Amino acid sequence: MYLRDLSVINGTSGDESRVRSFIKQQIQGKVDEVWEDRLGNLIALKKGTKANRKILFAAHMDEVGFMVTNIDEDGTLCFAPVGSVETQVVIGKQVKVNDSIPGVIGFKPIHLQEKDQLLRPPKFEELRIYIGAKNKEEALRIVKIGDYANFVTEYRENGRRASGKAFDDRVGCSVLMDVIDMQQRYENDVYFAFVVQEEVGLRGSAVVVEQVRPDVAIVIEGTIAGDDPGLEKDRWSTHLGEGPAVTFMHTGYVVNQKVFQAILSVAEKHGIPYQFRRRTQGSTDAGRLVRTGPGTASGVISVPTRYIHSPVCMIDLEDYANTVRLIEKILEEGEVFAK
Amino acid sequence: MTELVKKLTEAYGPSGRESEVHQLILEELSDHIDGYKFDAVGNLLVWKYGSSGKKILFDAHSDEIGLVVTNITEKGFLRVDAVGGVLPHTFVGHRVRFGDVVGVAYVEGETEEERKKNWNNLSLDNMFVDIGARSYEEAKNKVPIGSFGVYDSHFYEMGDYLVSKAMDDRIGCAVIVELFKRLNSCPNTIIGSFSVQEEVGLVGASVAAYTLSPDVCIAIDVTDSADYPKAFKRHSMVLGKGPAIKVKDKASISNRMVVEKLVELAEAGGIPYQMEVLTFGGTNAAALQRTRAGIASATVSIPTRYVHSPSEMVCKSDVENTVQLLIEYAMKGV
Repeated sequence: MYLRDLSVINGTSGDESRVRSFIKQQIQGKVDEVWEDRLGNLIALKKGTKANRKILFAAHMDEVGFMVTNIDEDGTLCFAPVGSVETQVVIGKQVKVNDSIPGVIGFKPIHLQEKDQLLRPPKFEELRIYIGAKNKEEALRIVKIGDYANFVTEYRENGRRASGKAFDDRVGCSVLMDVIDMQQRYENDVYFAFVVQEEVGLRGSAVVVEQVRPDVAIVIEGTIAGDDPGLEKDRWSTHLGEGPAVTFMHTGYVVNQKVFQAILSVAEKHGIPYQFRRRTQGSTDAGRLVRTGPGTASGVISVPTRYIHSPVCMIDLEDYANTVRLIEKILEEGEVFAK
Repeated sequence: MTELVKKLTEAYGPSGRESEVHQLILEELSDHIDGYKFDAVGNLLVWKYGSSGKKILFDAHSDEIGLVVTNITEKGFLRVDAVGGVLPHTFVGHRVRFGDVVGVAYVEGETEEERKKNWNNLSLDNMFVDIGARSYEEAKNKVPIGSFGVYDSHFYEMGDYLVSKAMDDRIGCAVIVELFKRLNSCPNTIIGSFSVQEEVGLVGASVAAYTLSPDVCIAIDVTDSADYPKAFKRHSMVLGKGPAIKVKDKASISNRMVVEKLVELAEAGGIPYQMEVLTFGGTNAAALQRTRAGIASATVSIPTRYVHSPSEMVCKSDVENTVQLLIEYAMKGV
């Protein structure tokens, strides 16, 4: 499992090079071909013994983060979210600017807040990143407009649970790397795409179809859990520990029925626990792959992940292991995708 | 043609589950096409060859809006999310059909205040569907999570008008079926695309156009009709005045040349028509025109009252005149 390494690498949308280098270094020699495309996607091929069909697995390398938009006279940095992050999870958090400079997203302490402030989340306009610069000139020596900033979160494992940042979607990247590590050869050609810029609108995956022309695609994600004690159970999306989550529909796409059923049949046959992703909000690269060019029947399998798009996410390691197992069995049973 | 409209609108076909609709269309068309196929995302494509070397694609989406089961309560009630642009109000007290199982949608509220609040800010988040199950297990066996439901609503002929669920866009499907049935020795190759998943975001259309590379695409879909009490006053479309040739909606601007040709052919053939500018909404034309290096695309609409409700209403003569106009376009449009 590569999640420990992948989680702490900073790679906001458009700045995935460190993630890409790490993955490339690890998988080189274990696949038959690996290439980077013009948008920065990393695509690997493991050739099949019969090569009847092409199966594509995709996970996105990027994470949500921030970008410096302006530097004030007092040396503080104005910033904007890259991908969807809301202000309530950023206040008082440590960040790293440019993958190196420690910073803090501060906010006035409770003593100085007006009463109604407690009920009102701040706007990004009201927030700054403090990097300890005395003034604009000093800040400009180490930071420029357009630089990225990321949450700083240590990766931890505690029994069955792992926590850290950027599990959406480094958990998907790690799952695919584990599958590559098995060094198995299947009947079908298997492509692994580690794509860029998912969080800003499913952009990287748009150019993958043209390069691969897959017969079927499966997107591996870290998806919302929402198993919050404050919510009734019948409002949860997924629940940690109940197995990989299989999507029947999300924003902009009803998952191809054959692919959906094929995933379930493999899980049932091999006794792999699974659950449905039980809310439909949110999108994935499957929504792009299905619409692009000649269209690709696409499915989505996710590791249930608490608190995504915040500084710290949490998964269940059994769910992770079962996701790897499910993909392994899907590859062994490649025939389930026969048209 | 009324029978065909009844058959198609009453069929079950929420987004992503269009196969029943596709089978009905194939049965209708089997003697009237030169070939058909299902593409990678499930669109049904049918065609009739011509000799001009030109290809015209007529698109109608085969899916309808609906609900999808997301969760089941301990007592066997269903939680649902929207499939497409669902107005929750149209489901309250109404029946929902999941395949063979029918349920009733209603609003929750544990106090008078809460009930009032939920009715006033209606959302699927405070609604549920009752399928008469007594437990989680019973409900799960009848309607598993991930099942798709549609209005349980029937077709009526009301004088000059037709009323049913899913006129959006089975009426477009019916028009294309009729077009193929009536076309004889057409010089152009005519393609019919019964596209999937329009309601969740124009999924199928661009794939269909990419697969077959037509010279022109015309989407046939419903549009708002502004002829009922206090209807949208900035809109001009009405029932009974013929097909609406769309100039613009929120998602696309129709190709000018295609629009002018449609107007010219309607005038020459004495076919009633109306012009359409819709200030909201969109059709598959938006996806079709952006496919490959760009395809000249337009929309011909059937004015429809109460779109996205269990009782969408169209006028018979508009449907007939739409078929007439499209026959003219198929023969002489390119």
